Amino acid sequence: MTLLSETVQYAISGVTAGSIYAVIGICWSVVYLITKVLNFTTGEFVMLGGMLTWAFHRLGFGLLPSVFFAVACTTAISMLLERFVIRPIRFPTEMTYMMITIASASVIKGLVLLQWGSESRRIEPFFGTGVIHILGAGVTSQVLCVVALMSLITLSLHLFLNHTLMGTALRASAINLTGARLIGIDVGKFRLFCFGLAGGLGAVTGIVTAPITFTGYEIGMLTGLKGLVAAIAGGWSMTGTVAAGLTLGLLEGFGAGFVSTGLKDVLALLVMILFLILRTISLPGMRKR
Amino acid sequence: MRDKRHPSLSWALVVGVLALLPFVTPGTYVTGVMCFVALYATLACGMAVLLEQAGLFSLAHPTFFGLGAYVAGMLAANEILPPWAGIIVAAIVVALIAYLIGAPLLRLRGYYLACATFGLLFIVEIVLAQSGSITGGHDGLMGIPPLSVFGFTLGGDLDYYFISWGLCLGCVWFFSNLMKSRVGRAVKALHDSEVAASSVGINVPRCKLHVFVLTAIMASLAGSIFCFYLQFTTPSMFGFPLLTELFTMIVIGGPATLHGPVLGSVVLIWLREAIHVYLKDVLPKLTAEVDAVFFGILIVAILIFMPEGLAGSLDRLAHFVRRHLGRSS
Repeated sequence: MTLLSETVQYAISGVTAGSIYAVIGICWSVVYLITKVLNFTTGEFVMLGGMLTWAFHRLGFGLLPSVFFAVACTTAISMLLERFVIRPIRFPTEMTYMMITIASASVIKGLVLLQWGSESRRIEPFFGTGVIHILGAGVTSQVLCVVALMSLITLSLHLFLNHTLMGTALRASAINLTGARLIGIDVGKFRLFCFGLAGGLGAVTGIVTAPITFTGYEIGMLTGLKGLVAAIAGGWSMTGTVAAGLTLGLLEGFGAGFVSTGLKDVLALLVMILFLILRTISLPGMRKR
Repeated sequence: MRDKRHPSLSWALVVGVLALLPFVTPGTYVTGVMCFVALYATLACGMAVLLEQAGLFSLAHPTFFGLGAYVAGMLAANEILPPWAGIIVAAIVVALIAYLIGAPLLRLRGYYLACATFGLLFIVEIVLAQSGSITGGHDGLMGIPPLSVFGFTLGGDLDYYFISWGLCLGCVWFFSNLMKSRVGRAVKALHDSEVAASSVGINVPRCKLHVFVLTAIMASLAGSIFCFYLQFTTPSMFGFPLLTELFTMIVIGGPATLHGPVLGSVVLIWLREAIHVYLKDVLPKLTAEVDAVFFGILIVAILIFMPEGLAGSLDRLAHFVRRHLGRSS
């Protein structure tokens, strides 16, 4: 392989990973902006999506029904989590929210381990195993599918948030919760909706990536954290999250290709820590965060 | 639980019970388990001070514990330094790392500190697992010699029992004094209101950093003793499951007190032993991640139904009993 084709190959895998981080980042920020809960179970929803699809598929359902059931189940679990675990906390502070979502994440992870074991699971690619060659680099149909679907999700979310009444109401509650309540927006329902949305989107990303990277009980936390990196670096806004997610993905793609595969996960987390440190340096004239 | 008017009496009681415990229980099983209780209690105690009293969401305590274990273990296993010197070097290294991370990050509020330290937790675990030639990788670090001080080799469970409970009680005593000192009062003040604290002349970032580094050193000491006791460490011992366990201890004990996390540690470790003894036939494999299911459910239940934790409820019970008896007599 020439250097050019290698570079293109790494860029493609970077964009694929980046589009996924962007969507997971949106899952974090949708929940965080409306409910002020940093939902550490986001990554587990990604894992649940892939594992449930695999499990339903193994039970004999076709691929499409399994995908549908998996997304529906994950959405339901996410909403149940909000209603019966997070909402009843008696003294809701940032610390209790964090503890309870981390606890829920380890419960989900442990139950999946108990039920389906610690092996990596694989789903068949959706549209066969065809490969397209661009500048000497191979692109599988699944990769195209992932990038297309992630773009579609981002675009439709953008349209939903900016051009529908409910989307506008959601944005209003993100900006000012009390104000939104005063003009008659049912914030409790929105909390449920946001958790459901995050669960569903997380499951979808988990399902489409399962044919490429495999899935297993332990993938949730790290994948979720990378989405969180995108959300934080993007300043919780949608455009920012997408840009940050793609940058992160490319960085990781080239890092894995040219430096070391084993340490590529460290790279994303280091970026997060460096970014957070940079945030603390406030220069005169900068807006105080 | 403890009467606030006679703190020295309750201390004497606790020390007396702990000192007698290994001699009244048969075999070394209880002694061995109580070693873990003490080491985890030390860790949980420091984390509770950070979380509740200082209001800093640091999730990096398993990492400091792990680094303490790995640095001391690697120095001793490669015969670079004797074990006791390794413990000191590990504490210095961890303090340095905590300082370098804490100095910029403690300026962040709430969730951001949690995110950064959570990232650190995963970074250290991955790096330890990947650099196999130095750390032994996923399989773990082997060949750690037992702890020896000036020619005495500490072999049995009993020796480690007294060392780890010494560390644990020393840590509780140290933190309870620290919290009454200038730094401690400043930290509590800044938990209540940072603006008010800084307006009366408290150097807020420096106070936070002091407490952060001190708790990290305690975690490192506990980690070093842990590795010499087990004579074996793996990276996965210091990862996400340990964080869940620490949360459980803090939540069970109630984070507002110092003896709470110690109680939490007693409950959690014995619960884990009970799970391993009674459920080993039902569940196919009992890894730390499977234990975390029980602990996760416990955290959720306590946060919803009993938010003050065990120590808080016991304090309330003691208060109720005292008032009730006072009236009747």
